[in-house]
Amino acid sequence: MKGAELGIEDLEGFFRGLLEKEVVDCLVMPHVAGKNIAYMMVTDPKRIESSPGKAIFAPSFSVNAAGIVKGWTVANKVGLVAKPCEIRAAIELVKLNQMDKDSLLLISVDCAGAFENQVYADHSDEIGEWLDSGKIEELKGKGIELREACTICDSRLADVGDIGIVRLNGDKVVVAGLTNMGEAALTALELPLEDKEIERKDEKARIAEEAKKNEEALPKISSIEELEAFLQDCIVCKNCRDVCPVCYCKECFFDQPLGNPASGDLLNLAELRGAIGVPANQLFYHLTRVYHVSTTCVGCGACADACPKDIPLTRYYPVIARKVQEIFEYEPGKDVEEPLPFVVYEEEELEDKLR
Amino acid sequence: MGEEKKEGEFEPKIIGFTCNWCTYASADLAGTSRKKYPPNARIIRLMCSGRLDPMFVLKALLNGADGVFIGGCHPGECHYIKGNFYARRRIAAIRTILKQFGLDNRVRSEWISASEGDKFARVMTEMAEDLKKLGPNPMRGKIL
Repeated sequence: MKGAELGIEDLEGFFRGLLEKEVVDCLVMPHVAGKNIAYMMVTDPKRIESSPGKAIFAPSFSVNAAGIVKGWTVANKVGLVAKPCEIRAAIELVKLNQMDKDSLLLISVDCAGAFENQVYADHSDEIGEWLDSGKIEELKGKGIELREACTICDSRLADVGDIGIVRLNGDKVVVAGLTNMGEAALTALELPLEDKEIERKDEKARIAEEAKKNEEALPKISSIEELEAFLQDCIVCKNCRDVCPVCYCKECFFDQPLGNPASGDLLNLAELRGAIGVPANQLFYHLTRVYHVSTTCVGCGACADACPKDIPLTRYYPVIARKVQEIFEYEPGKDVEEPLPFVVYEEEELEDKLR
Repeated sequence: MGEEKKEGEFEPKIIGFTCNWCTYASADLAGTSRKKYPPNARIIRLMCSGRLDPMFVLKALLNGADGVFIGGCHPGECHYIKGNFYARRRIAAIRTILKQFGLDNRVRSEWISASEGDKFARVMTEMAEDLKKLGPNPMRGKIL
């Protein structure tokens, strides 16, 4: 694949160039906001901050940026600069017809794991703008821990989307075109392109192994009673749905009378069962939602971050979803051409999973 | 019908979702050909197994059904050509989720054609027996 090696300081010119050469009409990208990192939407090349490397690689997770562009119907071209989990979510949204791929230029950046944005804000001086494994351990010793979702993430290298920005040692980066659209963008910027090998198989295998180990070490939810206990504090606020990049229904079942019964409906249900929990449908909501996102969950952990009751939803959504993804041998966000499992079938399959 | 029911014995409640063209007709055939099978299932007729939203399965289980049965035409013989192919993927997915919580063995799906009244009777018998061994749904009577 074609790419160019740049100094990290050259990224400013790179992003400016994307806007100046009208490769994209706007960029959604992280910027430094006080002690934290937040997303901004830039159209004026002059407003690209100096040293954007400080923001785009910073280990802070606020929202899943794919959610920002979800459901847009515009002819403009949007460049999205984000972590691999966010880019993967955007790819799933394209497959779910929630975004037109032709109006998206997806730029993924290497990620070493991230902290919840409030944790990052409290410790940004210690954490800095880039993590390596030594630093992660050092911070862990001080009680500053990565998000649980990041510890079980096995695909955090910048190898998804149209362009990948790979972080090398010594403040160097490689900007690589991963698709035709990506390569065309780099060509338009007149970057010195050469053949680059950025696959990093060994590193990928190491990350996957570590992620698997961490996932196995998480407390398991292995019975319906345990699930009930796990969710007992849930107030059915549905924040986990609202922040989820791949939960995309315009009218959620759980906002409608059947899913969110009130008044006479609720009285009728109570009459029917003698006693019901309120707010209603706690377990039903989470079981339905895990089914709805089962093939598309990218495991970004936004749900866990958003839970006002601090339920560690990372142990539920991504973990359960992965089991479903395994039976269809499907990796969400890996390939924009690969169809979603529920819209295709094979004539002979899955008979051992039915009874 | 048949054997006397023992006093106090657990009788599982099964919610059955059957497609109009095959499995529902097979239940009809089982009836008209006087096949004996336990009366535990309450059948809900769908036009196609592809109409089955996995939420139906969840709702039945959370409301205390001891088992859920799903019946459709044999793969390749769907009245709507491919409804049961999609159903198969959905059922596999929801059972995979339920497996994590030990509820998958309460959900069974079978392909039963309109001429297989004896298969319908056999599946109903087996399912009732399996569920009796399994005992009542742990969700029964819970405040949910």
